[in-house]
Amino acid sequence: MNVEVGEAIPPFRIEQVRPEPMRTVAAIFRDPTPIHWDRESTRALGFDGRLLNQTPVNVGYVLNMLMTWAGPASVRRIKAEFPQPVLDGDSVTARGRVVAVADNDGETVAECDVWLERDDSVHHLVGRAWVAVHHDQP
Amino acid sequence: MPSEQSMAALVGHRFPGGTYRIEHWENVLFSEATGIAAPPDGIAHPAHLFHVAINGVGTSITELFELAESQGTSVSIDYYDWQLHQPLHEDLTYVLTGGITDFERSAREGSPTRDSFTYRIQIADPTGDRVADVAFRWHHWRLTDEVNR
Repeated sequence: MNVEVGEAIPPFRIEQVRPEPMRTVAAIFRDPTPIHWDRESTRALGFDGRLLNQTPVNVGYVLNMLMTWAGPASVRRIKAEFPQPVLDGDSVTARGRVVAVADNDGETVAECDVWLERDDSVHHLVGRAWVAVHHDQP
Repeated sequence: MPSEQSMAALVGHRFPGGTYRIEHWENVLFSEATGIAAPPDGIAHPAHLFHVAINGVGTSITELFELAESQGTSVSIDYYDWQLHQPLHEDLTYVLTGGITDFERSAREGSPTRDSFTYRIQIADPTGDRVADVAFRWHHWRLTDEVNR
């Protein structure tokens, strides 16, 4: 896999964030926070009764993009911040771009800007990821 | 709200430590919740790092809120920083250690007081080899400025 600085990573899209996976994830996380399953709680917070997606799932969308691009065992590090929540019903797309390529402990690692955006370009996640890539043999 | 001194005293708090095993069903359901099938060859989805770290180190989201005395606060996430030294796998018993490493109280005119806690958790495999380092920082926005103690 040859990777160049400036290269765009193929995006990963979720057409519609649905409430059912939030319930599954809340159970797996043992997370009692009602914003992921109780519309009354989010109405009280000013989100008009729309549920808030778990931030690790938002990271998961970005990780899916990276794993689809470079392989399931390729991600070495991810740092992420969350300017806006993802709500049920949103359409979101994970995107990324290579900003550097370097050798690190015997493997080639691509440093990438990554983000998760809504169709109107609102950013829900911004961050940086380091992904092991393997150059083709000459 | 709790005093700054009592919150700062949480720095250095160590969680009990413990183990976590990602089951196949858990990997399948969680991966599907992120929009893909579980990775091949027993690799666990790396986004497991959030709940594996918290639950495996012997704490819980509920306890983290309780330690921060978060009743009457709005909680938001500042950042995650997850480092993987090797992929996560299903059906391995991971060993976890960690604690609260940083606290900061900040207040701006016209905004609620913000208490920020940094948590760092280390994950090792059964032989002791490093698997992952997980850091995350949460903001607790105090909705009242009255100091309790």
